[in-house]
Amino acid sequence: MARARPVPGFAESASFREAAIRTVEVRTEEVFEHRDNVLDISDIEHVHDMRVATRRLRAAMEIFEPCFPKKQFRGLLREVKVLADTLGARRDADVAIAAMDRVAAELPVADRAGVNHLLAELRAEQQQANEALAGLLGQIDSDRLHERLLAVAAETGAAAEVPA
Amino acid sequence: MKARKVKGLDPDGPLDANLRRIVAVRVAELHSFGKAVLDPSDVEALHDMRIAAKRVRYVLELGEPVLGPDAGRGAKRARSLQDVLGEIHDCDEGIPRVLALIDRLREEDVAAVRDSADPTASDLDPAALRRARNRRKYAGLESLVSYMRARRAVLYAEFLRTWAKFERAKLGARLDGTGR
Repeated sequence: MARARPVPGFAESASFREAAIRTVEVRTEEVFEHRDNVLDISDIEHVHDMRVATRRLRAAMEIFEPCFPKKQFRGLLREVKVLADTLGARRDADVAIAAMDRVAAELPVADRAGVNHLLAELRAEQQQANEALAGLLGQIDSDRLHERLLAVAAETGAAAEVPA
Repeated sequence: MKARKVKGLDPDGPLDANLRRIVAVRVAELHSFGKAVLDPSDVEALHDMRIAAKRVRYVLELGEPVLGPDAGRGAKRARSLQDVLGEIHDCDEGIPRVLALIDRLREEDVAAVRDSADPTASDLDPAALRRARNRRKYAGLESLVSYMRARRAVLYAEFLRTWAKFERAKLGARLDGTGR
């Protein structure tokens, strides 16, 4: 799992709002940097990294919510939550499959049929979750979520005369 | 679980004071589950505490450059709590799922074995058992449930130790400004 990137100038921020703007910008970029290959189910770390980055962005948005225009920000936060939940559904299936693979390996071959049945169900769920994620990522691109997140930070900074 | 509202935040005020206000509320929120989670069967309280621990962790991770090393240590403790509660949650979701699968497989077998009999049959020949196609699946799944229940008990004991350490650290007093 990737460590959170330090937010330049965070500790020196003159106000809570200035720190909010800096943090939302950095955490937004982190989410979209991890976008590539998330639909590849042969390497589950990609979706994990994007999920962790999305959770950090969501947490930052919740912490700094009072610093941004209420209506616009609430809508963006809702979209980030949907992304976090959709990534979470894929990740849950990935983790459950890995755990069941380990259990199956410890069982005598004659007793594996039931766990293999469960594994087949989990793989179908993983596929469904991946399709849902593919659809959502397409939607996020066409709705320009990345750009709108950066824009709300920039506009808030400009309105409050926060130095860039 | 909906987060408690943090009152008195001032966007134009200093970062440090605002963060400490949030930490105080989030740590109190976490401690509010301290009594309920002593009942290992209170699945909802354990789940809510996990969410509360996650919120504490994130605000401390974010605030560490301003709040200092106590925040970093607190974030690590909150993460340990979140991790073990997450594993317990997986067991609490997984056990009923496996039990439901066993029930479903048994019902399929009951239907298949019953349907093998003539509609006018007065009894069922044990040879019909061969129609129970899922019979090889039960043993592994029953073993899996036993393992998950045992793992849940081990994890709960680990959670109690982690929680005791968290409480001893008196994170709230160190970080919300009242302990200074």
